[in-house]
Order: sequence, then structure tokens, then C-alpha cells
Amino acid sequence: METFFGLIVILAVLIGTAFSVIGVIGFIRLPDVYTRLHATGKVSVFGVVLLLLAGLFWTPVSPGKDIVLIGLLLLAAPVASHAIASAAYRLGIPPQQLMRNDLAEVVEKENDPTPQG
Amino acid sequence: MIETWVEWTLIFSLAVHIVLTGVCVWRVWRGQNVIDRLIGADLVGTLALAVLVLIALIERTSIYFDVALGLAALGFMASIVLAKYLADQRVL
Repeated sequence: METFFGLIVILAVLIGTAFSVIGVIGFIRLPDVYTRLHATGKVSVFGVVLLLLAGLFWTPVSPGKDIVLIGLLLLAAPVASHAIASAAYRLGIPPQQLMRNDLAEVVEKENDPTPQG
Repeated sequence: MIETWVEWTLIFSLAVHIVLTGVCVWRVWRGQNVIDRLIGADLVGTLALAVLVLIALIERTSIYFDVALGLAALGFMASIVLAKYLADQRVL
């Protein structure tokens, strides 16, 4: 059983490290802010969560903290990414190769000084 | 036997994460615009979380998980508040 858990831990840690490396390479190489943000989302949702899953099998001292941390990361990381992307759009940083922009009229309506209705 | 392999895997992963943290700090230092630096700071927090989890796994103590919990909660709030400050030029 110890061997089986050890193999699970090795597999999870290696896959999580690979996701972290891919996320940071994307953060360095991708062309604009929004695609970089898309790459860095992988680091917390896949990289750290896989490390924590490995911890669930390897240190039986505190599974509760581990599960709470997994839930916190899965809730918090996408929210932070959305907030940063929204701030980038409102600062006027242009997305490259844009096909369709549904956010433009929303932001225009927000900036409109005349009261609605 | 398997414990040695797991330990070496964890140490290898720890080294990789520390190198990645250095790369992100360099990116925060030489960013193209302010949002780029904010993304870099967020990523440094996440990678520090990964380093803490790996240290907890290597040492087999749970005290580092407490530190990781605090870092995760505070880093989340810091990212949200900094993004809002940059977008609106005020905090509240």
C-alpha cells in the first residue's frame, strides 16, 4: 500500500510540476496580457492543486487543512484572474487578434454619465 | 525504497519551483505594463504557495500548511484589491 501511495505521489508531483513549468513558459512567451493571464491560471488550478493532492496521500497528519486549501484555491484563483482581466480591459490595454467584443458595450454603458431609465 | 524516490522527486520539484519563482520575479522587475507586473506578483504568490506545500511534504510536518492557508487567503485579497485599485484609481 505504501508503494502504491508513493507511486501516486510521484505521478501527481511530476504532473503538477509540468503544469507549473508550462504556465510560466506561457507567461513569458505569449503575446498579450489576456493570453498570459490564461496561461498563469494553470499554475494555481492544476500545479498547486496536484501538489496538494499528493500531500493528501503522503502526509496523513492534516487532511482537513489540505482539503480546505484545495477548495480555497479552486474558488479564489479564477476570481482573481477575472478581476485582473477586467482591470486590464478597463485600463485600455488592447487584446490582439480580437474576433468579437461583447464587453465593449457594457463598459461604454458604465462610463455613460446620463442616468439610465 | 519508494520513500527515497518520493523524496528525490519532491526535492527536484522544489528546485524547479524555486527557479520558476526567480523567473517570475525577473518578469515583475522588467514587465511591459502594470497589469503584466500584477500578473507576475500573483504568480510569485502562487509559486511560493507551491514551495511551502513541497517543504511540508519533505519535512512531513503540517505547520507549513497553516502558513500556506494564510498566504493563499491574503494573496487572493491582495490581487483583487490591487486590480480594483488599478481599474478605478481608488480602493473603495
